[in-house]
Amino acid sequence: MNLPDILEFIAVGFKADRFKTLMSSLGIIIGVMAIVVMLSVGEGLYSGVSSQFSSLDLDMIQVMPGSAHFGGPGSENANRNPAEPAKFTDKDTKVLENVVGVKNVAPRSSANVVVAFRNTNSSASLTGVDPDKEEDLKDEVAQGRFLTGSDYKSIVIGDGVSNDLFRMRITPGNKIRLYYEDRYMDFKVVGVMEEAEQTSFGGPGSDEDNLMYITHKAMEELKGEDNYYYGNFQVTVYDPEQVDSIIEKIKNDLKRYHKDEAYDATTARDMLSSLMSVLSMIKYALAGIGAISLLVGGIGIANVMMLTVKERIREIGVMKALGATTRDIRMQYLLEAGVLGMVSSVIGIVLGVTVSYLIGSLASLPSAITYQSLVLGVLFGVVTTTIAGVYPANRAAKLDPIEALRAE
Amino acid sequence: MNVISKVIELKDIHKSYRIGDSEFTVLKGIDLQIEEGEFIALMGPSGSGKSTLLNIVGCLDRPTSGQFLLLGQEISQTSDDELARVRREELGFIFQTFNLIGRISVLKNVEVPMMLSGVTREKRKERALKLLESVGIAHRINFSPQNISGGERQRVAIARALANNPKIIIADEPTGNLDLKNSNEVMKILSNLYKEGRTIIMVTHNPEITENCSRVIRLRDGRILENAS
Repeated sequence: MNLPDILEFIAVGFKADRFKTLMSSLGIIIGVMAIVVMLSVGEGLYSGVSSQFSSLDLDMIQVMPGSAHFGGPGSENANRNPAEPAKFTDKDTKVLENVVGVKNVAPRSSANVVVAFRNTNSSASLTGVDPDKEEDLKDEVAQGRFLTGSDYKSIVIGDGVSNDLFRMRITPGNKIRLYYEDRYMDFKVVGVMEEAEQTSFGGPGSDEDNLMYITHKAMEELKGEDNYYYGNFQVTVYDPEQVDSIIEKIKNDLKRYHKDEAYDATTARDMLSSLMSVLSMIKYALAGIGAISLLVGGIGIANVMMLTVKERIREIGVMKALGATTRDIRMQYLLEAGVLGMVSSVIGIVLGVTVSYLIGSLASLPSAITYQSLVLGVLFGVVTTTIAGVYPANRAAKLDPIEALRAE
Repeated sequence: MNVISKVIELKDIHKSYRIGDSEFTVLKGIDLQIEEGEFIALMGPSGSGKSTLLNIVGCLDRPTSGQFLLLGQEISQTSDDELARVRREELGFIFQTFNLIGRISVLKNVEVPMMLSGVTREKRKERALKLLESVGIAHRINFSPQNISGGERQRVAIARALANNPKIIIADEPTGNLDLKNSNEVMKILSNLYKEGRTIIMVTHNPEITENCSRVIRLRDGRILENAS
């Protein structure tokens, strides 16, 4: 029996049992659709985030106390970190500045504070900086000026703090009061930063726009702790290519002062790659959920095929009596499942692409349809149905013609 | 000259079935020779083994022991695929319950054996039309077998049995489900096939229709009782 004849036979069967065929293919259609949609949403998330981070400065190293890794089960430092977080001081600034290849070391500390302006309160993040080491921030001032080394009760605020935090705009010259725990201090606004670049994740009022900068001296005063420590260092290097070796040197040199303390030096790239690996896990986890619905669809197909074989037991007996070989029968039923899977997968793909597109444009969720997700969808759909067809097809092929003919 | 005039030779054929722990012997030593062009009626009460014998002769079943030559070829030990080939090319089946495939047309039903043999589309359609015409069903070719009468169905089945031009026709009570008029019609077609020189082996209960046959073989209790011409 050759292929076109088998296909003709299968087509006749589908036509005769339209409803049954539709119901059984629905499982596969939904399964394939789910895989395509999940992969597209996952891929969209992935590429959205990576385009967001690709602009990150690659010549920047962040030195911070404790372990900076994102954790995750595979993280190398996950378990060997019983030590206290390192306490960074000016000694460390010197150490870092002395590392060969380092261009600039900007010590920073941060605190969440309550801002009071004309009898209204709101919260924002405060960063203590050394104005002499923050050349980059100086370029981002929109109004007024950035801090200088001699500033004490002066503050530079982000665009969000200026425009969105209070009913009234805060402009240079205004006075604001900051509360930190049970302490407070009054500051005079000397500058407002530019609005941070719009991102699809944050939008207006993102964290970056809610930042405020004061000098370390003022920060120390505001916090009022006995010992003032830096929260982290932003280290800039001359040659981004050498970032990795400089990180090694930094880690080594800091050991002198922080032998039993935990600290870490990472780049934006490190953070990016661990974030990306998490996102890629999420992407495949989503696809896995789609695959489960496909599996259920496959079981549905196997069921329907078993029913079909049972229904056609007599026909199979006749075919065998007329000289059909085991192979002829097996091919017919395997192909019947395969064709069902193929057609259903293609329909599933079309629906999946449509739904992904709708999600992308209506819900403004990032979704990207990739060639890979389409191929995966069809492949899984066809493979699942064909596997589902193997058992029923073998049952049909191995029927004894005499018994099959006797069946009612 | 071709000297294989014996199309079927059975020597000491036994057939037994095992059901649970007990064994039932259905055929207890059958010796039978059928010449080319004979019209054999196989008769006997139920349980006499005539259906089992017909299944063996029709290559649907294998004997437990004994020798079975079909057209000079030893069949009893051959592979399933080879048995399928023999059924497809050397034998034509007619069943009591017609056994047409309900979901395809009358025409396609007749084409099935040729489809299995790999005959091209045009050729098999042409032959199927000719065969259906010869059994008087030309006006029903696009009908579903479910929508034609029993007599018509059996005539379609005969056309199908002839599709691959087999030497031997195996007929299992071909008139068992038909009224008198249709029975006579079917028997007339079978007689004509016999006159054309085909070998026909037919199981029947009805002594009246055996008058067309060249030989009647009676079975009882797994043995040949009478072998009368």
